[in-house]
Amino acid sequence: MILALLVTTLGFATLIFAQEATSPPLVYGAYYAGTLFLLYLGVRLLLPHSDALLLPIVTLLTGLGLVMIFRLTYDVEGAEELALTQAVWILIGSGAMFVLVLFFRNNYDRLFDYKYLLAIAAVFLIASTFTPLGYTVNGARLWVDLGPVNFQPSEFARIALVVFFAGYLAEKRDVMAATSRSFLGVELPAIKYFGPVALVWAASLGLLVFEKDLGSSLLFFAVPLLMLYAATGRTAYVLLGGVLFSIGSFVTFLLFDHVQLRVQSWLDPWKDPDGTGFQILQSVFNIADGGLLGTGLGAGFSQTIPEVETDFVFSAIASELGLLGATAVLLAFLAFTYRGTKIALLAEDDASKLLAFGLTAMFALQTLIIVGGVTKAIPLTGITLPFVSYGGSSVVGNFLLTGLLLLVSERAGRREVEGLAYADGRAS
Amino acid sequence: MNTHLRRSFYLFVAGFVGLVLMLAYWQVYSREALANNPENGFQTQRSISSPRGLILAGDGETVLAKSIKRPTPRGPVYDRVYPLGEPFSNVVGYWSTRYGATGIEIGNNSDLSSIAGEPETLDDLINRATGGPQPGNNVVLTIDPELQELAYQELSASSTGRGSVVALNPQTGEILAMATSPSFDPNNIDENYPDLANDEDAPLVDRATQSLYPPGSVFKVITAAAALEAGVSPEEKFFDSGAYELPGYTVHNFQGKDYGEVTFTRALAYSINVVFAKIAVTIVGADRLTEMALNFGFGDPYDDFPIPVSGSSVNSLPPDQWTTGTLAQTAFGQGEVQTNSFEMALIAAAIANDGKMVEPRIVREVRSPDGIILDRPTPSITRRALPADTAATLNEMMQQVIIQGGLTEAEIEGIKVAGKTGTAESGNGLPHSWWITFAPADDPKIAMCVMIENGGRADKGALPIAARLMRAYLEEGE
Repeated sequence: MILALLVTTLGFATLIFAQEATSPPLVYGAYYAGTLFLLYLGVRLLLPHSDALLLPIVTLLTGLGLVMIFRLTYDVEGAEELALTQAVWILIGSGAMFVLVLFFRNNYDRLFDYKYLLAIAAVFLIASTFTPLGYTVNGARLWVDLGPVNFQPSEFARIALVVFFAGYLAEKRDVMAATSRSFLGVELPAIKYFGPVALVWAASLGLLVFEKDLGSSLLFFAVPLLMLYAATGRTAYVLLGGVLFSIGSFVTFLLFDHVQLRVQSWLDPWKDPDGTGFQILQSVFNIADGGLLGTGLGAGFSQTIPEVETDFVFSAIASELGLLGATAVLLAFLAFTYRGTKIALLAEDDASKLLAFGLTAMFALQTLIIVGGVTKAIPLTGITLPFVSYGGSSVVGNFLLTGLLLLVSERAGRREVEGLAYADGRAS
Repeated sequence: MNTHLRRSFYLFVAGFVGLVLMLAYWQVYSREALANNPENGFQTQRSISSPRGLILAGDGETVLAKSIKRPTPRGPVYDRVYPLGEPFSNVVGYWSTRYGATGIEIGNNSDLSSIAGEPETLDDLINRATGGPQPGNNVVLTIDPELQELAYQELSASSTGRGSVVALNPQTGEILAMATSPSFDPNNIDENYPDLANDEDAPLVDRATQSLYPPGSVFKVITAAAALEAGVSPEEKFFDSGAYELPGYTVHNFQGKDYGEVTFTRALAYSINVVFAKIAVTIVGADRLTEMALNFGFGDPYDDFPIPVSGSSVNSLPPDQWTTGTLAQTAFGQGEVQTNSFEMALIAAAIANDGKMVEPRIVREVRSPDGIILDRPTPSITRRALPADTAATLNEMMQQVIIQGGLTEAEIEGIKVAGKTGTAESGNGLPHSWWITFAPADDPKIAMCVMIENGGRADKGALPIAARLMRAYLEEGE
């Protein structure tokens, strides 16, 4: 924990020293460090048996994000305060997570009781961008204007959906695993049980596709599929999903210009290097510019990439910290994924297992999709890099995700301790 | 269910490994290709947003090029400044984002640039990792700043103002001066380049290394060396009737003189064309003359020298296709012989250095910004042009050029000086004026070639300039 805060401080010190930048008011730094430290202590007190590594990783990632956002925007006119705004979002995220932990510290099962409500709420959240309050940024209709704050409802909707899928699948997994008929040699589950899942799935996915939010669509598609696989153990679902995905991709490719554009600029960005291919080429140039050790913080040119502080923040990291630094950051993400999987493995009941797994899968896939996108490994789809990218909704959403993981781990941890105490008692 | 969870986790791990591989592909494998991609403007951008290293003269203190910070709304940029300007611009070169770069600026770019190459010191590594200021390395030249400045002044004050000087230490190969006139101010090259490029006097051309001229009689040192190797002795007698008739070509002496019976030494001192043509045709032959010229560096492109050098050439035809007329003309440096003061200074140095050709060097060392020596080339002998005893004989003959030739202006009190004049017909205008020299002849410290375009007789144009430079250098050293 202390290590994570030190790394962040060092990053800032380097920037201020190297760029002769005017330091952001130190008091904000103190707020940030204090908030996360208090959050850590609070969680340790409330959930003494929960996973101890998740929050330090979150601190490291948000801290790195703050350093990068500061470095990328402090001298950009009109965006000088972006790092401060992000710090405030981290504060809000921490608060939201603390409240979540406080409310559900003993019985997060209550969440599963409201699973249908949550699912409906999620669909409505996503649909809310079609109300007059919603508006469009960069061709995607993702935002809702609520007077003082604007937010991206899909960032929250997907957590709600994971809770729904976890609750529903845990309840119905046995009947869903039992096959009733086979079709073309593939054993299919009964429509009756599959129905609600498919319905929610299709509704959310359909809405997102119409909002042109490709990244989230991909997540919404893949996460429930993985949860389904985990719940039933049937590879048929994965195969079916794969087929559906191919058809779906092809249809969207034919239907929507912006999808074709994305794929084209992925396959051949050189065709229009100053237009559609500009962003991905600048990203790749910057990544290559970093080399093994990176250019050093502040010495790269990643400000040439449009949207660098949100979706392309990883390109800036790879450019300025090099292959070594970027790999280290990826390892931090992998560590989070590992702890998340571990929590799922140790969880007692199916619903908790699925919840922890779903959240972890979402986190991991989100990282893979955006990093894969900016490194031109897969077509680019605009989503944020969890905790690092600039973006209020994303930060708060990921704090809530972490909170839920902590809640699940607390129960497993407590059971383990009690189990040991019980074993000790018998032995003596 | 746990099995499925684990499998999914392995899937994620595979994904992360894939990403690292993708990163490695961009950041290591295709890094160079992307950096040089024409759509990628980072190199130019970085070249002005980080300071290049200093270029220092041979004293290690005189700054010839430095980067000065200038704040702009888009962050600080660095301007390249050349405090001493014109006298050094052919050596130091210029650095322009619009017109490219020349001289040491490009020849040693990988040292001067803060981006090229891998980190060389721990400080450098730390600086790069933390993004601190990353000035390039400093390049210390071998150039003697006072001699260079003086050489430039002498050249621009000469009768035509067009010429070049190259001086070096014959024992180490260190270039002490390499001056050309007219020159240009490398500061503000971006504004002045179009005018400079169209100037009739070609100030952007380094006459010391890039131009090629007929050498005239200075080439006789090569003919003399070949003759000595062929068995001619310095005291051997030759008869000069004032003309030497060959099929289709008749050799005459400079200003139509005839000298009667002379020794070989005197023939060199008086620069008698007829005797040299006779020796070349009857004793040496085209093969051995060409071979000697190649031994002395004709035809060598000097690729390792950081500043581009035009290679000298004897003739476009191979020696077995020469007519006797070609051979006769070549013997006294006319015909198709093409060279420059860089090559001729190296020849003088090789004779001074017991016949050994030393690798010419203009960079003494490369230092990191905090003074750590990163590279210091050592003197190296490229080849032996002449056996030591032949070199000693030729050295003595070249001293006699001054004594018997009565070139009192070239004498320096208490020091033995050797030299050879050249007055080369150029086709238009006055002949080119050449003088190669080295001193002290018994322990050479400096070898030099001075060449004045259309400067007239050697003893009126190049020689006095060389004499003043030699005195200045040898007295300064004491």
